[in-house]
Amino acid sequence: MITCEHITKSYNGRPAVRGITTRVERGEFVYLTGPSGAGKSTFLRLLYRAELPDSGVIIVNGVDLAQLRRRDVAEFRRHLGVVFQDFKLLRRRTVAENVTFVLSLLNFPEREQQRRAYLVLKQMGLQHRMHAYPDELSGGEQQRVAIARALVLQPDLILADEPSGNLDPERSHELLELLKTINYQGTTVVVATHDRGLIEAHPARTLFLDHGSVVADAWVTTT
Amino acid sequence: MSRHAWREVKRQLRESGAAGVVAIVLLAVAGVWGGGFWTLHRWAERELLARGQATTVVAVARGPAEAAALHQRLAARFPAVRATVLAPRAVQDELARWFPELATVLLTLDEKNFPPLLQAEVAPGDEHAVAAWLRGQPETTLVESSHAWQARMEKAASRVLAAGFALVASLLLGCAVVVLLVVRLLVLAHADEITILRLIGAHDGDIRRPYLISGALLGAAGGALGAAALGAARFALRGALPGLTVDGWLLALLPVAGAVTAAAGAAIGLASLPREP
Repeated sequence: MITCEHITKSYNGRPAVRGITTRVERGEFVYLTGPSGAGKSTFLRLLYRAELPDSGVIIVNGVDLAQLRRRDVAEFRRHLGVVFQDFKLLRRRTVAENVTFVLSLLNFPEREQQRRAYLVLKQMGLQHRMHAYPDELSGGEQQRVAIARALVLQPDLILADEPSGNLDPERSHELLELLKTINYQGTTVVVATHDRGLIEAHPARTLFLDHGSVVADAWVTTT
Repeated sequence: MSRHAWREVKRQLRESGAAGVVAIVLLAVAGVWGGGFWTLHRWAERELLARGQATTVVAVARGPAEAAALHQRLAARFPAVRATVLAPRAVQDELARWFPELATVLLTLDEKNFPPLLQAEVAPGDEHAVAAWLRGQPETTLVESSHAWQARMEKAASRVLAAGFALVASLLLGCAVVVLLVVRLLVLAHADEITILRLIGAHDGDIRRPYLISGALLGAAGGALGAAALGAARFALRGALPGLTVDGWLLALLPVAGAVTAAAGAAIGLASLPREP
C-alpha cells in the first residue's frame, strides 16, 4: 500500500525527514511515533502529497507521488482519508454537508449522498447531529465527523495526524477503537501520535521516528 | 454546471455581501455611462453632424443676374446637384428670421444691401469639386460649405468621444479591480476551507469555478442594471429627444460586457490562490 525509499525533505536547509525507507502492506495498522519535531507530520504530508520529497521515491496505493501530475493530485486524494488533529471541518457547513462535500464534488445523486452520510455518521454514532454545525459539537464529536468524512468514499488508506491530540483520554481510546474497527474492515490505517500510552493500549506495528529518521520498527506491546 | 457548483456559487454570492453590491453598482454606473455615451455619440452623428447626408454649399453672387447665370451653369456642369437661388429679399427675410433681435433693423435696410445667394445641396463626395468650381467662377464673391462646420464639429466630437471612452475604460478597469478585491477577500475568508477542500480531493477547477462564476454573475447583474437604467433614461427623454434611440444590441451587450469584465477581475483575484506543490 505504501512504499518509501530513501525519502528526504528539508525546510530552509533544515532536514525534517532523512532517508526514510519503509513499507506498509495493504490492511495494516501502523503507528508513527516520536517526539515533537521527529518528522511524523512531515512524513504524513508527504504521503498525501501536500509536500513533495527532495529526493527518494514514495508510492502510495500504486501511485508514484513524485511522478504524479498536479492535476491528478485531487483524484489521488479521493482514494485517501485524511484525519487531522485540528479536525479541519468546514465551519460554515453542517455535519452532513461536511461529510457529503466530496460526494457532491463527484456528482453523486443527492439521495445517495444523504444515504452514505447517514450510514457513515451512524457508524460514528452521530446520525442525530447531521444538521448541527461543527462549532455546536464537542471535540470528540468533531473528530468523529472528520473520520466520517474520511470514510465516506470508502478509501483504501486512512492517514491520521495526531487524531487524538485534542481529545481527553477516554475519547482518545474510543477514537483508536474506531480506527481499529475500520482497519478490521480492510482499510489500511496509519496513525501519527506521540501518545505512547495510547499505542500500548491498542498495540500495533509502530515506526519510531527521531530527527526525521526511522530509528525503530517494532510491534509495541503493553509494558 | 453541476448542482454542487451552483450551491457554491450561491454561497459565494451570499457571502460577497456589501462588497458585491458595490461591484454591481459600479458596473451598473459604468454600463450606463458607456451605453449612454455610445447612444449620444450615435445620435450626434446622425442628428447634428448629419454624417452621410447632403452637404450645403452656399455661393454669394455679385448680383441677381449673375446668380441666375451661375445657377444655369452649375446645373449644366453638375446635373445631380440641386440648387436654388435666394433673391436679396429672401436673404433679408431669412436673416431676419435667424436673428429676431435684429429683425427690425434688418428689415428696414434696403434689399440692395443683401446679396443673392446660390444654395446647392450636394452629395458628401461632390462637395469639394462643387465648391472649387464655384470659387473659380467670376460671378461669385464668396463660397462657404457646411462641410467645414461639420469637420470642426466632428473634430470636437471625436475629442469628447475619446475622453468619454477613456472614462468608460477607467470605470470598467475600476469595476474589474473591485471584483478582483471582492474575490480576493472571499478567497482570504475561505483560505482554511480551500486548504481543506484540496485535502479532501477537490480539483483546482472545483475550487476556482464558483469564484469565477460568482464574479461573472455580479458583473452580469451590474450590466443588466445598467441596461435597465439606460432603457429607463431613454424612456424618460423620449419627449425631449425624439431622435434618441438605444440600440437593442447595446442593451444586450451590457450584461455580457459586465460579466466578462468581472470574470477577468475574478480570474486575477484568484491568482492569489495557493497551488499544489
